[in-house]
Amino acid sequence: MHSLIQGVILGVLTGGVYALMASGQTLIFGIMKVVNLAQGAMVIMAAYLAYQLFTSFGVDPFLAIPVTTVIMFGLGVGVEVLFLRPLRREDKSELSLLVTFAVALLIEGVLSVTWGTTFRSINTTYANNSWTVGGYQITQVRFWAFVLSLVALGLLFWLLNRTRFGRAVRATVQNPESARLLGVDDRRVSALGFGLGAATAAAAGSVYGLLYPFYSGSHYDLISRLLSIVVLGGLGSVGGAVIAAVIVSTSSAIVAATISPAWSEMTFFVILLLVLLIRPRGLFGSVSRGAI
Amino acid sequence: MELSNRLWFRTSRAFVTAGLALGLAACASGSSGSSGGSTTSGAPKPPLVIGASVSLTGDFADSGKAVQRGYQLWADQVNAKGGLLGRQVTVKIVDDASSPTQVVTNYQNLINRDKVDLVFGPFSSLLTVPASQVAKRYGYSFLEPAGGGPKVFASKLDNMFFVQPAPVVKSGEVFADWILSLPAADQPKTAAYAELDDPFAAPIAEAIRARFEAAGIKTVYKQVYPAETQDFSAIAAKIASSKPDVLVSGTQTEDAYAQVKSLVQLKFSPKFMFMSNGANSPLEFPNKVGEANTAGIMSAGDWFPGSTASGSAEFTAAYIKANGGTADTIDNSSAEAYACGQLLEEVASKTGKVDNATIISSLHQGTWPTLLGDLSWDAIGQPQGTFHLVQWQGGKLLPVYPADTAQAAPVYPKPNWGG
Repeated sequence: MHSLIQGVILGVLTGGVYALMASGQTLIFGIMKVVNLAQGAMVIMAAYLAYQLFTSFGVDPFLAIPVTTVIMFGLGVGVEVLFLRPLRREDKSELSLLVTFAVALLIEGVLSVTWGTTFRSINTTYANNSWTVGGYQITQVRFWAFVLSLVALGLLFWLLNRTRFGRAVRATVQNPESARLLGVDDRRVSALGFGLGAATAAAAGSVYGLLYPFYSGSHYDLISRLLSIVVLGGLGSVGGAVIAAVIVSTSSAIVAATISPAWSEMTFFVILLLVLLIRPRGLFGSVSRGAI
Repeated sequence: MELSNRLWFRTSRAFVTAGLALGLAACASGSSGSSGGSTTSGAPKPPLVIGASVSLTGDFADSGKAVQRGYQLWADQVNAKGGLLGRQVTVKIVDDASSPTQVVTNYQNLINRDKVDLVFGPFSSLLTVPASQVAKRYGYSFLEPAGGGPKVFASKLDNMFFVQPAPVVKSGEVFADWILSLPAADQPKTAAYAELDDPFAAPIAEAIRARFEAAGIKTVYKQVYPAETQDFSAIAAKIASSKPDVLVSGTQTEDAYAQVKSLVQLKFSPKFMFMSNGANSPLEFPNKVGEANTAGIMSAGDWFPGSTASGSAEFTAAYIKANGGTADTIDNSSAEAYACGQLLEEVASKTGKVDNATIISSLHQGTWPTLLGDLSWDAIGQPQGTFHLVQWQGGKLLPVYPADTAQAAPVYPKPNWGG
């Protein structure tokens, strides 16, 4: 029982980290109908950037986030302008799968050449610290990562619902033609939206690097999890992605504690399958376009 | 031996999640060419050309380059001494991009087109299996420093010699030997096992478990986990709640780091802790888990800085001279590759010949001193020795058992996390 509760505590906290990564993914889909297969690679890239800032300059990975966010935002905008914009509108969704996969491979290749293929991890003095609360361990990094996720998601929510840019984004999602008629520059919205999605990878990367050892190929595991979370939450729904992330990591933790860790990785695919059978649009996906 | 096989596991894992991606990558980079090995002969004897396919690109690139450094270092050393039986040694390295198909092409080209005199092995069991079969077909001896998994020996080749002290699955035996040599009162009563489901990890822990259970050490927890396991919180929580005296971790690389991190976070430190792999890397391990958390953790190793085995001091000095750094920065793979060359030298000095038939027949008899210790092989190339038990003490990885090669006494119980 003790190990079960301990597992659940850590599972919920880990869910926050995945929520952060998946929110960027689902945002990009919501705005552009692009499934970004490079999201995982971008997270790993941000982890390397945080690693380098920490090892070379002693910058704390949490404090490095503003810097890496700017870099990742720039990268996201660049990818959109260079690789996605030239695609024809009619088959953009299909082709974008190939294009973003190519971007993922490109990033992986650059990371391998730059940092080699050995595992890295960011080891701050507090990386392995935990608080003991009522006999249970709450790891500090996971806790702060969870808090950070809430803050980042709050910012994202504010940006989408309380700003002019957010209104333009939502308008573009609901009806690109009408939005354009009303003067929304949908090309600009797409570029900024993709940049914003990539920017969430920055915070996620710092946290990922603190929690797990990583190397350039780590993004394969990551992207399969992220896609499952996004589909489970409903493609395009940020709130859905958050809830799906917590469901996924908590249920994996419960299965690992009660049945076996061998089954925990499979748990969320089972949940995903069940949800898709009963509710094919995901937990919070809407039938019509336009819910973010 | 430490990292020699982890990449095989890593690749197979990536294949599962993204076979397409790797397929494409392999196609794109699979055809790295070879450069001609020009000979500057004017000397009476032609040079002795040794061919090897090594992964200079792709997933195994880091370790592949370490193997290359080992081969080249040995060749430079032996040439400085006037060559092998008066012949200058040329090492001809071709890149296989970590691909099991390219490695076959490379050895066929080396043997048929380039007509090299001898061949050495590539990096990893994944590549050694197909490569050793090519060598066998053409009657070449096959000294290989980095392929010790069960599949390598499954083909039962008599021309192949794994140049490490023991097959990978037996690398943990030395820990069981040491534990069972302790006074009864000091021996652990309960044990937990956390094992990666991989031919290079779980069998090592299982071999130890068989020995421990036979000796009456009770198993309180055992878990085999899949390669995809990223988060070890649940496993660590179970280990912590079962409170074992000894924890045996059948690990590869990043799972070892993750296990340690999770146990530190849960504040559980067993009295004895052995990790089959990952913990035996002098640079990587402290970097990944924090130096203070390494104290007391044990693992198995073949070569270590400060080793007094045959040629080790010479190797260490030459390596540092050629590549810079300190003895601690030397990858074991370089030492293992260097040992292949040492063996050739010994065969040459003992028999006066360095042809393939002589090498094969010689190495099947007797023991051969190398910087990894004295090596000997059975009929199918399985080395017959044991690894050294190494332990982290004061931020350094020191051999602690058996006593004749130990540089320090084993410390137990293991200090708590953080030293």
